[in-house]
Amino acid sequence: MSKVVRQIGFDEGAFVAREKENVVVGNEIIRHRLSSRVIHWSVGVSFFACLITGLPVWTPVFGWMATLVGGLSVCRIVHAWFGLAFALAALVMSVHWWSEMEMTKEERGWVGPKLLEYLRDAANHDKIGKYNGGQKVYFYTSGLGALGLLVSGIVMWYPTSFPQWIRELSILLHNVSFILFAVSLVFHIYLAAVAEPGTLNSMTRGTVSKAWARIHHPKWYREVTGQK
Amino acid sequence: MSVQSLEIRRSSASVWGSPSGMRSVPTVAKYIDTSTCIGCKACEVACQEWNDLPPLSTRQVGTYQTMPTLDAGFWNLIRFDEREVEGGLMWLMRKDQCMHCAEPGCLEACPAPGAIVQYANGIVDVNQDNCIGCGYCETGCPFDVPKFHAKTGKMAKCTLCVDRSSVGLEPACVKACPTGCLHFGSKEDMVALGSLRVDQLKKGGFTTAALYDPQGVGGTSVVTVLAHADHPEWYGLPRDPHVPLGVKFWKKWLRPIGFLAIAAAVVGAFGHHLYHGNKGYIDPGPVDPGETKG
Repeated sequence: MSKVVRQIGFDEGAFVAREKENVVVGNEIIRHRLSSRVIHWSVGVSFFACLITGLPVWTPVFGWMATLVGGLSVCRIVHAWFGLAFALAALVMSVHWWSEMEMTKEERGWVGPKLLEYLRDAANHDKIGKYNGGQKVYFYTSGLGALGLLVSGIVMWYPTSFPQWIRELSILLHNVSFILFAVSLVFHIYLAAVAEPGTLNSMTRGTVSKAWARIHHPKWYREVTGQK
Repeated sequence: MSVQSLEIRRSSASVWGSPSGMRSVPTVAKYIDTSTCIGCKACEVACQEWNDLPPLSTRQVGTYQTMPTLDAGFWNLIRFDEREVEGGLMWLMRKDQCMHCAEPGCLEACPAPGAIVQYANGIVDVNQDNCIGCGYCETGCPFDVPKFHAKTGKMAKCTLCVDRSSVGLEPACVKACPTGCLHFGSKEDMVALGSLRVDQLKKGGFTTAALYDPQGVGGTSVVTVLAHADHPEWYGLPRDPHVPLGVKFWKKWLRPIGFLAIAAAVVGAFGHHLYHGNKGYIDPGPVDPGETKG
């Protein structure tokens, strides 16, 4: 690190965020180091590649998307490969974040009423660490969704190699997993990119402001800054 | 292949259905009488010849059958089976081919617009230009008919010789049949012919004879006289065929529910923002250092 010349305008935060996270740099805190962000976006990009090649096969309403990649027969071929890339990226991400996503007893309430409380701005944030219960729930639902999509997707890739009931079940599983994944993804994108200003930055440049951390993740803020 | 002069009743993956109904087109059908079939396989050869399908090597299955199943390059298969019935040996043969269902499961399952069409006369046909080779039709078919060509990756099956029947000719197999166990005409006439033959068989001692025209798929444009209709499985036919539940549930329920769920999520997120604004609002403070908040 010492080799870098710190000129005026040098982005210290982004520089530190290449390798470290959960550290304070000036008025900012590094939330996601470079590797975390690359893993996250490889899942994101591969998912959207699957989305625009899968939706036109799902229903002709989205047939226009197929023209973006050169037609429905191109979709049929590349969707499977994009799907494989997505499953691989999701696997790496699951391993990468597994240890940070353990849910406490209290956080299990996020599966139900606490999530709504949070959306109504009525939740007490005081005990929230680096990730809140909702984020952990999303981690598990998207992981399960990816697994369902992978398993059923392999059958649908080579349908003629499997018996009838497995093929039928796979089509249903692919649908259900996708719907679950897509509905949670809408809220993931909404909360991260729209509803909570400053959040998107944690996944692009890797940093958040101290004020942001204090509001959304007070326990994490106290741990990182050494305050009690 | 699609035939331009024929009106289309249904088309795969079409949002609004099809504009068929302008003309009155009678439903056509092929009549197969398994009780007078002698298993000569002239229909197999005629099918290969007319449709210009290269000859395939026989694959032995332990009977006189040419192939274990239908194939993308083999659309007409005489199935052989031996059964002991009431002390005697029955040698059962049935012409296996696309049944041209009134409610085709293949068409229902197909995601490629216009790849599978049903003409107004009831013939179900594949338009290979539009086929993407996904294999959904194979899952949708209750008769295990659609097969994929190794070279093209596309589905191919019996067209009921649509290129012949649309110009007033009978299908090639019917033309070649030496015993008259195959006929082609309007569905009405073929069903009437079937009832006649069934009555004959019943009088001849085959009390369980019936015409196989399964209503689970809305009836078929291939009607088959079976001497032992109480055991359709002896002929390799399903007892009560219907569009698979998984396919029906997926298209009729799961897809619209999913569509609505995702749309509801988007509307919900937007509404949340309109009502609640930002979560964790951070006062930007004075924009200009000289400006004071008041």
